[in-house]
Amino acid sequence: VTGTTDPVATRRDTIRQAFEALALPHLPHLYTLAARLVASGGDAEDLVHDTYVKGLAGFPALRDPASIRGWLCRILGRLAVDRHRRRSPEIAAGDLLAIDRFSLYDLIAQADADPRPRSGNPHQDFLEQFPDHEVRAALLRLPDLFRIPLVLLYVQDMSYRELADALGCPVGTVMSRLHRARKILEGELWECARRRGLVRRADR
Amino acid sequence: MINELGCEVAVQEFFAYLDRALAGEAVHELEEHLRSCLECCDRLAFTRRLDWFVRYRLREIAMPDGLEERIRRTLGRAPVE
Repeated sequence: VTGTTDPVATRRDTIRQAFEALALPHLPHLYTLAARLVASGGDAEDLVHDTYVKGLAGFPALRDPASIRGWLCRILGRLAVDRHRRRSPEIAAGDLLAIDRFSLYDLIAQADADPRPRSGNPHQDFLEQFPDHEVRAALLRLPDLFRIPLVLLYVQDMSYRELADALGCPVGTVMSRLHRARKILEGELWECARRRGLVRRADR
Repeated sequence: MINELGCEVAVQEFFAYLDRALAGEAVHELEEHLRSCLECCDRLAFTRRLDWFVRYRLREIAMPDGLEERIRRTLGRAPVE
């Protein structure tokens, strides 16, 4: 039957149009979130695409259409976790201890003086030397297990409770992963600065 | 009874404090400690600056051409329930 008054088809079209009208304006934000979550541009596109497909399927059950952006971001976060969970290598317990104890603040304080001081504050000088792309590259080197919650916090400003829901783990686990994510990132920035000759470790 | 917070414990709470995930007595204790410890104030200022430094670099980026079209095409065919 090719009639135009099929009530089921009409209802589907109405839902689809409403979803597109509400959800597609958030596409640039979702793409940014995806591109920060995964290293490859192709993976980011697939992640956003699949988020919208899943979003449309669940849209009729969404109670508050005004909350659609956060809702889509949580879907995207869960998809990212499901897809990339397997790719995170285990970190040895000894390494975790070293990560927990790492302090970029202390290393900068102990480093030889910056050969090109700017502000007289070595901690401030340290950060100002990094081009944007190196910060993003350092973040992408974090294992998925740690990068995903940190990016959801930074880009989407999720609370610990929202992160726990999106990642399917307790709030305590979120806290510990965010702590380690930041410490690993500090380590990556330090190593990057050393490679570029911006700092030298002081003799101990 | 209010326990006096040591620097080591205070530093461990910085991230939760900056993320507004610390509440009640824990916030009070940390802020009490900060009032009397310049070293921790410096460390917290650096931690906050580093946080914003990274956040700022994750701001919105340009979408690839064709992504919206690809999504619209799939949504046109996808089932709705």
